[in-house]
Amino acid sequence: MRTKLAMAMAGLGLLVSAAPMWAHHAFAAEFDATKPLKLHGVVTKMEWINPHAWIHIDVKNPDGTVTSWMVEGGSPNTLLRNGFTKNSLPAGTEIVVDGYQSKDESNKMNGRDITFPDGRKLFVGSAGQGSSPDSKSDK
Amino acid sequence: MTHRLPLVLLATPLFWGQAIFAQADLQGIWSNATITPLERPADLAGKPTFTPEEAAAYEKQVVERNNVDHRTGNADADVATAYNQFWYDRGTKAVGTRRTSLIVDPPDGHLPALTPEGQKRADEKREWMQEHATDGPEGRSLGERCILWATAGPPMLPGPYNNNFQIIQTREQVVILNEMIHDTRVIPLDGSPHVANNIREWRGDSRGHWDGKTLVVDTTNFSDEYSFRGSDRNMHLTERFTRTTPDTLLYEFTVDDPTAFTKPWTAQIAVTKTKGPIFEYACHEGNYAMMDILAGARAADKKNPK
Repeated sequence: MRTKLAMAMAGLGLLVSAAPMWAHHAFAAEFDATKPLKLHGVVTKMEWINPHAWIHIDVKNPDGTVTSWMVEGGSPNTLLRNGFTKNSLPAGTEIVVDGYQSKDESNKMNGRDITFPDGRKLFVGSAGQGSSPDSKSDK
Repeated sequence: MTHRLPLVLLATPLFWGQAIFAQADLQGIWSNATITPLERPADLAGKPTFTPEEAAAYEKQVVERNNVDHRTGNADADVATAYNQFWYDRGTKAVGTRRTSLIVDPPDGHLPALTPEGQKRADEKREWMQEHATDGPEGRSLGERCILWATAGPPMLPGPYNNNFQIIQTREQVVILNEMIHDTRVIPLDGSPHVANNIREWRGDSRGHWDGKTLVVDTTNFSDEYSFRGSDRNMHLTERFTRTTPDTLLYEFTVDDPTAFTKPWTAQIAVTKTKGPIFEYACHEGNYAMMDILAGARAADKKNPK
């Protein structure tokens, strides 16, 4: 049965082509693909603002000095809907941000991947969520 | 003496001044999230609907593809996909009709061709936007400028997040609050005509009436700067809202714009009741990205003076 279905799907050409992954802003205009960065820092605050939230981190440099960075995320509405609150990422939390620096070369980057130092995802449980005409109802 | 109102009266909507709707009660918070695209993907040509098994396989495939936690290894793509999956709130299911496109007419599931005039206008606009992309905010999209969001409409379509809207209804007006860009449309039902032809609005001028149990909303007077998939100021948009079950609303819209499209087209999407609340999306408040984009362009100008 599974094979049959796989064949039917192949017959239909159901290898879906890549759809545009558009976020609110053209990140390509804001961040520089030639400036990848991976920073290990400590959260100093999170701005729960729209259209995109910003996480502020302090990063310790090899010489012992500290540099503050701002990391751009997405709409906090989605996090709120999934039950996250302002207490979900308290100041002092260590995170690792893997992303790209802003084109103006200020200390800003996109939070392409944000994890805890041990590799766990920052906000677990939201992947693949979203309502649908069949699945999300308050009844 | 204490006057005590019977509890049953307090619980009656009429007591609180709410309308008892002879036509239909559309009120509530609704979600239009779905993976079904507006246009039928090229590889599904000639396939208007899925079988249940095909729909399930398609859903699995699209959800996996949409998971932006899977990086491609290409830096440009990594930047474009912006951030982790947890920020996104896309649909995960195909529409309940299992149609392979939201467009139901033309039957091929595709937007009709633009008229030569419409194509010329679209090309000119695209060229202007490319040429002036970072001169100032005017060269950026209306969404980046927090003026309008492409899926917030009207007409309303699903997007990557904030796929929720609330309908509030009285006998005289219907109000639609869209979470994306927190747009609110106040739609008169009093039979009054559209505003004068020379008055142009970002989201057009909406007027509603009842066709049996279906709310019909006509919108005209769109701004010259607004374009929905190639539409122009002459777009006449007709939206139809029908409550098909207690938890489902059928939302249909027809775009009739003879100066932009070679024929009218219609899309259909079943939206479902969802839990609230609608959250504010104060787009201008924290729109640091606009400054960042322009500051990045100015930094590049300094490095490479023209």
